[in-house]
Amino acid sequence: MELVDRYLHAVKFWLPRKQKHDIIAELSEDLRSQIEEKESELGRKLSDAEVEPILKRCGSPIAVAERYLPQRSLIGPALFPIYCMVLRWLFLYFLLPWFLLWLGIAIFSPDFQADHPGIGILGSLEPWWLACTHALFFDTLAFALLDRSQVRSQLVNTWNPRSLPAVRDPNRIPRSGTLFEITFSVATLALWLQLGAFHRTFHALGVTVILSSLWPYFFWALTVLSLASACLGCLNLSNPRWTPLSACLRLGIDCYCWGLVYWVCRAALLQSLAVDGLSSDKAAALVRSINSLMANSAIWVMAIGLLVMFFDVRRILRLRPIVEAK
Amino acid sequence: MSQSIEIDQRFENLRQELRRGSLPLAVLAALRVEHYGYTLRKTLAEHGMAIDEGTLYPLLRRLETQGLLVSQWREEDKRNKRFYRLSADGKSILKQLLTEWKSIHASLEDIF
Repeated sequence: MELVDRYLHAVKFWLPRKQKHDIIAELSEDLRSQIEEKESELGRKLSDAEVEPILKRCGSPIAVAERYLPQRSLIGPALFPIYCMVLRWLFLYFLLPWFLLWLGIAIFSPDFQADHPGIGILGSLEPWWLACTHALFFDTLAFALLDRSQVRSQLVNTWNPRSLPAVRDPNRIPRSGTLFEITFSVATLALWLQLGAFHRTFHALGVTVILSSLWPYFFWALTVLSLASACLGCLNLSNPRWTPLSACLRLGIDCYCWGLVYWVCRAALLQSLAVDGLSSDKAAALVRSINSLMANSAIWVMAIGLLVMFFDVRRILRLRPIVEAK
Repeated sequence: MSQSIEIDQRFENLRQELRRGSLPLAVLAALRVEHYGYTLRKTLAEHGMAIDEGTLYPLLRRLETQGLLVSQWREEDKRNKRFYRLSADGKSILKQLLTEWKSIHASLEDIF
């Protein structure tokens, strides 16, 4: 019977304190009855090898004990899908962009590499790891508390079909956004054309700005961009739904736009600056600072551009065919 | 071959689910006569409702907590055994459940 005692002891370990004695006494009685019946059939005592299958059929100690325990969960089934959704959002829209940005800086920024030589570069990822653990911890804690509060019962019991969100057409392009895009493009174009591509010197409010020889390229590139945006806006106004054509055009224009901004950041367009009351040395230092600041911000521009393009590509991949009403 | 095993497995899962739903009714009906755990299991097995100890004892405990069964530790054959029988509430619930069971059976017969 040593095997039975060992088995019962193992089951007892997992049982709730108040019920341990009662449950073990009952289970013990059942097992011993089974063994006695078998022994009376065979007319001899059972060996350990013969007792073993009886215990195995009964189940592992933890599985047997688990059936006596109340069903418990940190976050119940009513809130668990929302918990998962929040975790997914945190990862997709906060932690992943952060990581990608870090990766971009770690690969492309020589200054950053110099500050964190060798394996030390991984140490600069510490705040990200900390944010990961905090996000997981506080999300879990918040939902565990919500599950034990009145919110859960309100969510499950007091709902109304009318308060549910309206079904959103993912292919629809809001007219307000399209109108804004057209207005902005036309206004930019109008102001832009006043500047002109052939002047590189501008005076306003006591400030004289001289731009580099790259200015005409930028001028025409931005003019093309504004025209393309206005045309796409008109196309979207006539058919306010994303189609493969309009979604691909959007991606193309965004690629072009963010590529242009990235180029501007690195091109050092500002050649010189003259401000009333400012010495030429200080003006030159100011020009260097502005160009350096723009060059340093190129990495952020690239990160934002990549994010925009990610959503554009996702839109193309998720385009749903239009179901014609019959 | 593997598809056949998969179908068998799916059938087995559904069969167990179906039987699990009827176990409380079978246990309550069997406990119109007093039994202790082991003899109750044997009685149910003899009637084609075999149930393992890991399922039966937690179920008995749950039914007793709900006030449908009463239990008593008594010595029999020099061993302490816990005897169960239906309570007054249990008898009333069993009657209602049997009516419901017959109604379900009739409905299913009608659908078949």
